[in-house]
Parts: sequence; C-alpha cells; structure tokens
Amino acid sequence: MSYAQRRRFLLLLFLAGLLLIGIAANATTFLRLDFSRLTRTATAVARLRCAASESFLENGQIWTDTRFAVLETDKGNLPSAITVRTPGGSAAGVTAHVEGAPRFRPGEEVFLFLLAAPGEPFRVLGWAQGTFRIARGPRGGSERLTQDSAALPVYDPARREFRAEGLRNVTVDEFRARVQRALAAAQ
Amino acid sequence: MSEFFNKTAATVLACALTLFSAQTASGYALHRIVADLRLSSAVAGTSACPVPARRLTAAGSFSVQWSTSLGSSPLTVLTQDQTAAGRLNEIEQTIQQSLGVWTGVSGSLLQPATLAPLARVSSSTACAADGLNSICFNQPDAGFTPGILGFTRVITADHLGAQLANGPAATQIGQILDADIYFNPGDPNTAYATPQALAAHPAAYDLESLLTHELGHAIGFSHSAVWRAMMAPYAPAPGTFTGQRPTALAPDTPLAEDDRTGLRALYPDPADTVHTGSISGRILPANVLALPAFPVGVSGIFGAHVVALDAATGDVVAGVLGGWSCGGDGPAQFDGGYRFERLAVGASYRIYAEPLNGAVDPTAVSDTTAALCRNSATDAGWPAAAACVVPPVDTEFTTRLRSAP
Repeated sequence: MSYAQRRRFLLLLFLAGLLLIGIAANATTFLRLDFSRLTRTATAVARLRCAASESFLENGQIWTDTRFAVLETDKGNLPSAITVRTPGGSAAGVTAHVEGAPRFRPGEEVFLFLLAAPGEPFRVLGWAQGTFRIARGPRGGSERLTQDSAALPVYDPARREFRAEGLRNVTVDEFRARVQRALAAAQ
Repeated sequence: MSEFFNKTAATVLACALTLFSAQTASGYALHRIVADLRLSSAVAGTSACPVPARRLTAAGSFSVQWSTSLGSSPLTVLTQDQTAAGRLNEIEQTIQQSLGVWTGVSGSLLQPATLAPLARVSSSTACAADGLNSICFNQPDAGFTPGILGFTRVITADHLGAQLANGPAATQIGQILDADIYFNPGDPNTAYATPQALAAHPAAYDLESLLTHELGHAIGFSHSAVWRAMMAPYAPAPGTFTGQRPTALAPDTPLAEDDRTGLRALYPDPADTVHTGSISGRILPANVLALPAFPVGVSGIFGAHVVALDAATGDVVAGVLGGWSCGGDGPAQFDGGYRFERLAVGASYRIYAEPLNGAVDPTAVSDTTAALCRNSATDAGWPAAAACVVPPVDTEFTTRLRSAP
C-alpha cells in the first residue's frame, strides 16, 4: 500500500471514529453510572483476589459464583472471603453466555463495586462499569487499574449523550483517592 | 504494508516499526465453546478445539416468541399506533424485520425458511432456560443491577444430547438451545421506539437496531470491532438507527460486510460458489522475548485484530481476532494464527494486523478469548491433556507486513 493509500485509510478510520463520537452503549446495554454514583450505590468497594469460580443451575438459569479473598476494603465491611454471582457459565451440560457479564480468572486481582442483598451472594454493580482490573506493565512497574467499561461509552440520560468516562490506566492510589472523595462528597 | 492477497496463505511478521494510531478496525467474532471432555467421548467427542456456537438451519428450526407483556410505568416500548392491537402489530413487525435482516444474506444457510412463525406469549416471565427463544420487555431478572438496560442470554450444548426443558436434544456440540433477550423493565430513563415511532421520540432507543444486534448474539455472534458492523459493541444513540432500514428487496441492508462474512462463515451454504475464498497466516513477533512467559507455549502474537480490506475499494470485508489455531484433538495453540473464510473469490484483499489498543480494547473481547480454553481452574476435573490457558491479549506490538514466503 502506498503512503497516499495508507493516509487515506487512516483518514477514513479517523472520520469513522469522529462520526461515532457521541454515540454508543453496549450490546448488553449500559446506562452510565459515573464514579460518584458507583461509589454511592455500592454496598462495598474492595480489592479482591479471585480464588475459584463455579457455575450452577438455579431457578432455571445458569449462574457463576466466584469466590474472592478480600485484600482491602475501601467502602463497607466485608469478611475475609466473599462470593460474587454473575449471570452465565457452564453447568448441567450447557453453557450460558451473557455478553458483557464480567468473568474472573483464579489469581486475578480486581477492585469491584459490590451490591449486597440479604442472604444472597454479592453482585457486581453495573457489571463492566463496576469492575476494575489490576495489571502491571510488561516489565513490572506499578499497578494500574482499568475499568472494564473504559472502552464502552455509555449513555447519560441527563445530558442525552454518550460519554466514554471509564477509567483507564490509573494508579491504585489514585483510585483509592477517588473513592474517598466520592464518599466524602456523599456525606 | 504492501502485499495483496488473493486466496493465498500469508505470513505476517509483527515488528516494532509502524505504530497505528488510528481507531482500530477489526472484525466479527463468533461465540465458541469447548465440549465438556469430562463426559464420555460418545457424547462429547475427543476434541478440545473451540467450536462455534450455532443454530440448526433446517426449515422451521429457529422459533422465536415474544412476550406481549409490556411495561407501562414507564412505558418501555413506544409505538406510532396507540391502539392495543396496533401496538402489538407494530412491535411484531419490528421483530420480524430484525429477524429478516439475518435471514436475508446470500451464501448463508440461515434463510427465511429457517424461521418458524413468530409467536406471541402473554406470560411476563417467558424468558427462561426452557429451549424457547424469547424476547421479554417486562421481565425482571436477578442479573439486572443499576446501570444495565438489557442483555441476551445464549445457552449452548456442551455435549451431544444436552437438552433444556421444552427443547430438542442437541445433535451438535455448540448447538444453540435457547436465547432470550431481556430488556430491563425497571429503568425509568429508558424507552425503546419502533422505526415508525422513532422520529417522534428522539430520546428513545431504536428497537429495531437493538433487536437486530441482540438477535446476532442469539445466532452465535459475539462482538465485532468493525465500526459500522451491526455486531459492534455499541448501539446507535437514541433517536438514530444502525445502517439503513431493511427493505423487502434488500432485507440485510443494515448489516456491514463484516457481519455478512461472519454469517457465511458460521452458516456456510455449500451451494455458494462466490464466497469460497480463504486467507490464513500467522502473526509472529520479531523478538521472541516479547512473548509472555506464562502461559508456556505461546509462540505468536495473541489478540491482534486482523482485518481484510477489499483492495479495490478499501472497504473492510472482514476481521478476526487472531492469535490462535486448533487442529486434531486440540487444545487451542497460541501460535499467532488467523484465518479468514468465505471471502468472495475473484477479488484482491489487503490484510492488516493491529493491536487492540484503540477505542476497542481487550475487555471488549474478553468473553471471546476466555471461551477458547478450559482447564482444571475453570472446570474441576478437566483432563490435563485437553487443558490450556488463554494468554493475555498483546496490545504492545506494532506491525509491518511482509511478502508471503
């Protein structure tokens, strides 16, 4: 491909991107939950390490319960280990797939915004919006957090527009500070 | 990048030379499953290779019902016709058109005859793992939390004979047994409008676009990262719709070519003599030290967007998530492999490989990548010989395309 052709290709992609500014929502359609609302609505905010997942059939649907060790609690009170339930999984010879529902790998560390209901496992508030994965750079370095929904602009009904406000590549300290600021503002 | 490909195998070398800063463009992805090899080989076979989830295509085999229980406070579905009967007819017409989009593609076995007549059901709890494909506008689900407006639950067979309550036993591994589309009835800020009503309700989502997208999941698609694809993970903004409206003569008009290519790959019509081309290759690092140390055995770039462009027009024809292959009894090998199928012959294509570090990032395809492997951590008792671990998506490579060997 010539330089001119490549320039044209990149320009077309850029224009396509511009056209999409201001649109979007996920196929699992998300309604925007900003960080303050996530923090206010969540029963708990915590850093967790995934221990294991198990899928099962209950009330005619397949769910996955993931067991986490609680490493740090930034809001709420949690025991040392908790269970989080998400839709989908494999059980009874079938696999239920729900696009957009978070999945966790053993050993993986995440910050989750959790919803509690009496006598039931926790749920992840807003699925991808309430899931922040922890990663290190390819050659080590400090931990960085990225919200699962960072690539998925969501609709803000108040402004009638789509906004990509997900957090990408923030430090753990910055994340904690945001939680504390949101909690302080809510009081 | 300077090579043209036409039904040839190609090798792509990923080198640290050219950085793509444009919005990424990639392609269709199919929901895949690995058979449950903990069961006997008589029902699960012996292969740990991921197989695409798909429906049967015999006449009348794809039946859909929709619940006429509609939310009223707030009104969930807005129609132009406000009479009780007219309202239901308008919604039903929208569902029919959305289904027709996917059965209107040439070169696919998913044809109008595959569809059974659309049925109505009055129950407000029609969506269940019961072998019936249902669309529900007014059914609460424990999966909903604040911030979730709607989702589709697709259930596939892990082994032959798998069966849900009212459905037939699976005759194929990966057979889609049930797909239910849920719209959150409890969100006061959201409404959906039929095409006839959309102009008068610019704050509402276009029901036809959302249904067409969700029905794409119901026939086996995951998300695509081609911007204009129906299966891109973004719905159109309220008051707008995806692509063009379908017509009687061109029912598949809302689809992008990427959607059509994916559909042909998923439901290939053996009588199709046009879309029989394929291109395959591998994406390899210039420096093997760039490969992840874990899991062991990774020999190529995993998670690259590999995009085929029509060389004449520059249009995106298809894209795939590259980085793996599977042969024999598997499991998946992370060797940088990619493969395009069901491309039109007689055309020339350019291939791009790009990292997923643009507007679409690895989280948007995590479901797709996670489904490639099963192991003892994901499934207790999983046989070691059939186990694999999906490596992290590589987003740090840059690419330069070289001539095929």
